[in-house]
This record gives sequence, C-alpha cells and structure tokens, in this order.
Amino acid sequence: MFLRRKQKQNHHLSPDEGVLSPDSRRQEIHIRIRYLKKQIRYGQWWMALFFLVSLGAAANFRFLPPISEEVRIFLGASPSPSLISIALIVYAFSALILIFGHMNTGPRRFRGWSHIGYLSAFYLFYYYTDALRDNFWPVFIAGLTILGLENYRVWSGCSEAIKEEEKVLAYLEK
Amino acid sequence: MFNNLASKAIVPVALSLTGFVIICSLILCSSIKEDLLETAVQQETNLAATVVTSTRYAMMTDDRKNLYHIINSIGDQEGVEHLRIFNKEGVIMFSSKPEELNQVVDKSTAGCIECHSGSEPALRLGSMELARRFVNAQNRNVLAITSPIYNDSQCSAGECHFHPSQQKVLGTLDIGLSTDSMDSRLLTLRWKMIVFCIMILILSVGGVSALLRRNLLIPISQLMDYVKKVSGGSLDNDYPKGVNEVEILGEIYFDMAREKHLAEMALKKSKKADN
Repeated sequence: MFLRRKQKQNHHLSPDEGVLSPDSRRQEIHIRIRYLKKQIRYGQWWMALFFLVSLGAAANFRFLPPISEEVRIFLGASPSPSLISIALIVYAFSALILIFGHMNTGPRRFRGWSHIGYLSAFYLFYYYTDALRDNFWPVFIAGLTILGLENYRVWSGCSEAIKEEEKVLAYLEK
Repeated sequence: MFNNLASKAIVPVALSLTGFVIICSLILCSSIKEDLLETAVQQETNLAATVVTSTRYAMMTDDRKNLYHIINSIGDQEGVEHLRIFNKEGVIMFSSKPEELNQVVDKSTAGCIECHSGSEPALRLGSMELARRFVNAQNRNVLAITSPIYNDSQCSAGECHFHPSQQKVLGTLDIGLSTDSMDSRLLTLRWKMIVFCIMILILSVGGVSALLRRNLLIPISQLMDYVKKVSGGSLDNDYPKGVNEVEILGEIYFDMAREKHLAEMALKKSKKADN
C-alpha cells in the first residue's frame, strides 16, 4: 500500500519537477526497505506474544485469580465446549481463506494482531468453561497455523519487494 | 530456499492443510472423549441406581449381613474400584474395602463439595455433576459417582425404622469404576487419528506437489532451458509441449527468434550486396 502510494505520487509529477535526485531516491528506497523489514519483524513479535499467551494457557492461567461466583453470575452460563470447538473450526477455516485471499491481493502489511485477540478469546472461553486442559492443543495449533501462514505471506511479499528495491539501489550505486 | 516456485506453491498449502487437519482431528478426539465419558457416567449412574434399588430391602429390614454381602459381591466385580455407603454425617457405614469402615469423609472433597458447597446441601444434581475423575492409591484412573439415597414413604413410615419424613437424604452411595478400558480405547483412537492425519497429509500435499510438478514446474523448467538454448544461437522448435500456456509461450518465443534470425540474415545479405 505504502509502496503503491509512493509510486502513484511519483507518477503524477512532471519530469521537470518530479524526477528525484539519485540521493533522495536512495534515501526513499532505504526508507521503504526499513518499512518492509519492520513488517517482517512485527510478525515475529506477534508470534512471540502468542507463545507467551499460550504459555499462560498451558498452565491453565494459574496466575489469574479464580473466577468468583459473582462474576460467573454476572457473565452468565458458559457455552458448551463443543460449541466453542465448532466456533474455533469455523474461525480457523475463515482465517486461512482470508490469508490466502490476501496473498494475491492484500498489502504487504502484517495483519495478525487481530488473530492474537481471537485466539486469546478462545483460550479464555475454554478457561471459563473449565475445558482448557482438554482443548489447549487445538487452539495452539490453530494459532501456529494462522500466524505461521500470515507471517509467511508477509515475509514472502516483503522479501520480494526488498529484493526489487535492492536491485534499484544497486543500479543507482553504479 | 523459499524463493523458488515449488516452495512458494507448496509451503502455504502444506502449512494450512496440515494445521487445519490437526485442529479438526484434535477437536474430534476431544469430542469423542467427551461423548465416551458422558456415556460412562450415564452407565455408572444407572449402576448406582441399581445398587441402591437392590440394597433397599436389606436397608429397610436392617439386614446388615445381606447388605455387606451385596456390597462385597459388587465390589469384587472386575473394574469396580470402590463401593461405599455413607450415612448423613459422612461416616462410611458399608464398603467393599473393610479398612474404610467407620471413616469420616471430608465434605469439602471432590464428590461431596458439589452438593455441600452452599449453606444448605443441594438435593438434586445432574449426572455429570455427580461424577468425578481421579487417580486412586493403586495408581488407576477412576470415574466415580456419588448417588444420594433418598428417603421415601416406606422408609419414614415403616414400623422397623426411625428416619423422620422431613429428612430428604438418608445417605450417599459412592461407586468408582476403573477407566482403563475407556482410556485404552481413546489411546487406540488417538493413534488411528494420527495415522489417518498422516495419510491425508501425504495424499493431499503429495498430490498437489506431484500435479504442480507435472503440470507447472517441469514445463517451466523446460521452457527456461529452451529459452537459454535459443538465446545461445540454436534455432529449433523443441519447446515444451503439453501445457497450453507454456506451449504458446514457447511458440511465440520461437517465432520471435526465427524472425530475428531472418532479419539478421536479410541484413547480412543486404550488407554483402552493398559491398
């Protein structure tokens, strides 16, 4: 998106005013490469955050205070674990389809942060229904698959773009 | 490593397929386990009800010898880990293990707390709430049910007995069955699932890889070789055939190379004629 916007801006400039000097072009390319590398790093950070949440879930959130009876009354009856599992399958399926869609048309921007929220919500739902121990692995594998594919999408898109930018940079350096 | 066409086409498919199949299998396993457990609890509840019904007459007539005999006979059955009857105060009055007799059970432990958590003990619970799972002293997995023995008109109005009619629960029957056979069935199921997953993955990822290789990767690699050969000066039309798009590309490249070659020849001829 960022790259396309920049390209469009350059395209609309007239040759006299729009042709950038080699130095400013180099600077712009460096900025773009930094942006692309940052996107790859973002993915790794979010993946690390997911591992941290999963560590807590694997320990059955022992560090959290137990849910009091008042809170349970306030929140209401918990859904059955099988309903949460059906929701997890539907979510994983939709998320994978969306990521495949973004592979063709989407921007080279990491969009996995929302998935951390959804996956943590699944952990919390299972925790609330006292079924986290039995259902930890499906959520963990779902997270690994979804975030792994999203990271792969961002990594492959950004790596290609970085390669192109570096080619232009090498040409300018000549 | 991941920059070639083969890995770009196969890695996302393999990753998503593997992940999704594993998620579905784990959830299926968990759901089957839940169903089996629910069935086991239902069967155990029925067994507890049968025991209570079978011992009712002996209890009413205060025939302790007969009662001990029934408890011991059921307790000796394979898979029955324990069978106890508590009185209202939580004292074990009858047990398939004589060493447990007259011991008092803590009402805050699993199996008791479900009814005794409030100021007034709950009178009725669902069958799943009456069940508990634990590992016993013999290191065996046990699924136990506590079933209340309710007062009825025959108990309170009988001449021989002393339970007042306002007393709702007379005692509790606690029966524990080993879950070894269920656990081994689940383990077998898990292994079958793993084998099934691996087979699906090999078939799907292998199938996609083989088709991609046959219809895309090999023709493109052949086209690359052909282009290199033509660029090197060889003018033949052995471009890859079989895949329409690749064949058209090869044909166009061959036509371009031939036209370029003819143009070069014409140029050379005209230069010679000029000389």
